[in-house]
Amino acid sequence: MLHNNKECVAMLLAGGQGTRLGVLTKDTAKPAVPFGGKYRIIDFPLSNCINSGIDTIGVLTQYQPFDLNQYIGNGQPWDLDRLNGGVYVLPPYMRGKSGEWYKGTANAIYQNIAFIDKFMPEYVLILSGDHIYKMDYSEMLAAHKKRNADCTIAVIDVPKEEASRFGIMNTNPDGSVYEFEEKPKKPKSTNASMGIYIFTWEKLKKYLVSDEEDKNSENDFGKNIIPNMLNAGEKLFAYDFKGYWKDVGTISSLWEANMDLLDTKSGLVLNDDKWKIYARSTAEPPHFTGDKAVIKNSLITEGCSILGSVTNSIISPSVVVGENAVVEDCTIMPGVIIQDGAVVKHSIIGAGAVIGSGAVVGETQKEPVAGEWQITVVGPNAIVQPKAKVPVNAMIDGGELA
Amino acid sequence: MNNNIMSVVFASDSAEAKLNELTIHRTTASLPFCGRYRFIDFTLSNLVNSNITTIGIITKSNYSSLMDHIRMGRDWDLNRKNSGIAVFPPYVSNISRNIYRGKIEALHGILDYITNAKEDYIVLTNSNIAANIDYEEVYNAHIKANADITMITHMAKPNNCTRVIVESDENNFVKEMLIKNTKSDEISQISLNIYLMKKELLVKMIEMGYEQGHMNFERHTLQQNLDKLKIYAYLHNGYSAIIDDIQSYYGENMRMLDSKVRNDLFYRAGKIYTKTKDSVPTIYREKSTVKNSLIADGCDINGTVENSILFRGVVVEEGAVIKNSIVMEHGIIQKDAQLSYTITDKNVVITESRRIAGYDTYPVVIAKNKTV
Repeated sequence: MLHNNKECVAMLLAGGQGTRLGVLTKDTAKPAVPFGGKYRIIDFPLSNCINSGIDTIGVLTQYQPFDLNQYIGNGQPWDLDRLNGGVYVLPPYMRGKSGEWYKGTANAIYQNIAFIDKFMPEYVLILSGDHIYKMDYSEMLAAHKKRNADCTIAVIDVPKEEASRFGIMNTNPDGSVYEFEEKPKKPKSTNASMGIYIFTWEKLKKYLVSDEEDKNSENDFGKNIIPNMLNAGEKLFAYDFKGYWKDVGTISSLWEANMDLLDTKSGLVLNDDKWKIYARSTAEPPHFTGDKAVIKNSLITEGCSILGSVTNSIISPSVVVGENAVVEDCTIMPGVIIQDGAVVKHSIIGAGAVIGSGAVVGETQKEPVAGEWQITVVGPNAIVQPKAKVPVNAMIDGGELA
Repeated sequence: MNNNIMSVVFASDSAEAKLNELTIHRTTASLPFCGRYRFIDFTLSNLVNSNITTIGIITKSNYSSLMDHIRMGRDWDLNRKNSGIAVFPPYVSNISRNIYRGKIEALHGILDYITNAKEDYIVLTNSNIAANIDYEEVYNAHIKANADITMITHMAKPNNCTRVIVESDENNFVKEMLIKNTKSDEISQISLNIYLMKKELLVKMIEMGYEQGHMNFERHTLQQNLDKLKIYAYLHNGYSAIIDDIQSYYGENMRMLDSKVRNDLFYRAGKIYTKTKDSVPTIYREKSTVKNSLIADGCDINGTVENSILFRGVVVEEGAVIKNSIVMEHGIIQKDAQLSYTITDKNVVITESRRIAGYDTYPVVIAKNKTV
């Protein structure tokens, strides 16, 4: 078994329901939601892992896992089909006579202690399945080792006015954490936790076991494990991440992150041969741009047929934009058909939806209202009837006729 | 699904000379087509979609680009424990001391591979063909006709390259086979050089042909034995093309701009797979104007593109104009440069304000890695 040892195993928390994404996650787990044309959200942490030299990843699934399981498959698109290691989908399971759902993020790891132990790692990297970012985890691991830390928490500098929406790490000048505040009303610093942790495995295991024994615990990393370790005087360090990072847990932030791909100033650049984001390929021919098409500042992927006008939008594979149709400031997911003359603005259209000819979906938004963009959402496989009008901020369910 | 057919694919053929610069660095099998494919993709995808997964590929020369493209066959789901892909590099046998001179010698060289395979039927195919063929259907027609050999044919105009023109009787059996290379505007029934038969028959014919010093499969094995063999001419009625000169290469690429033709080639009986490159989506910038064109992923467009095909990762800078042209992978068309009726091979750079123009009957070809 000696050869099966892995220095660091990644555990990706992919079980959340993602209720704030509404119809987009009705039948699918949040990490499987399409992003940026040809990607799914989970492509980012998976690609970051393989690019960082981490080839053993457990994906903890619980809510609507089929789409995600099928997408991950044997891990081949991310070069994770390995003889030793690779990607493993880990749903909750029965142990002896008992068994239960994952109660919280820490409990999900607790239930898979035996899985992690098989690789006898020194370190465990905990990741979320709902963030868009490119990060070299090997640098974070090097910092963890150099400081001989028990836990290293990746933090990002956020604007002061937004700090109270995050878990804030208050640190000493050497980077060690002396206090953790979950969504503080008066934040003392702007170091927001990114939900990315490296633990020394033996240490974490000890805290997972004692946390499990505490019946009052919510079994959550942010609420329980991190505060417990701090109180016990363990060595916790913050790791400063500089670069693009966005939690895409809401419709507004998901739309915004997609739009960031079109903004050269956003810092989100995917065309990078040194740090590719991998995705499962769809095997479609090049996209076709018709005689009357007008496309400005947009991303278009293979298999599409664009006959109308597309501006400031992200178009996923196999989308059809009919003649005289107008698509502005939108994220269009795979296989959507926008029929002739339909007008779609500031919207997210779910995979396989059909927007009937002459329908009007959404309206131009100048700025966000109280920090949130008013985005119109048409759910996967929903059908918007010809000439129908879908108002701003509406959410149309699949199977529902609008 | 039928699981009793194997295949041998010829990666090169004698017509390569007529593709000039495009095949200096590669076999026709690895010639790029329609924005993101290589010709072998059509052959391999058709076979895999028809559940034919024991595939031997015979190469002759310049095969490294092909090996790089195919690797273990994973992109076609051919990295199997049982069956899968076997690539035969050019070899010199003890007997002939030469690289093979024709299909008969080539097949004789891998006779062990063919006889050891568990399948009873075999498909022989060239790889300069663009078509979406369902071999299940071909096999059923073969059995129904009780034929010795089934030859896949299409209706087309002959060009200046070698073509096998057939005449068939009312039951679609071949009466007459003409092998010629004269261009004609008359539509004829032409062999796509794809054959299905019992393996046993092929082995017998190869052994006999080899002993007699024959080389050419069509001329010596088929044409000379027309009275003894029942050759069924299966007519493929979807889109199909043989590409063996610059005119056919250019013309068939341009036909892909027609969505009916494209849908037939890419979706008729199954999808066409190719090596994935994990390119990002294509970005259209503020100054882009694109009309009637096919654009693969990973392009960055800020100029004008009309009636053209852009392969993966092409950059079109501001003011550049591309019309009626094919720009292969990672081409860079710099500011204010103009291309018309031009084929640029991989990694070509057209520098600022340069103008290159060919004619539709005679497109200019810019060789791989060149900077103009």
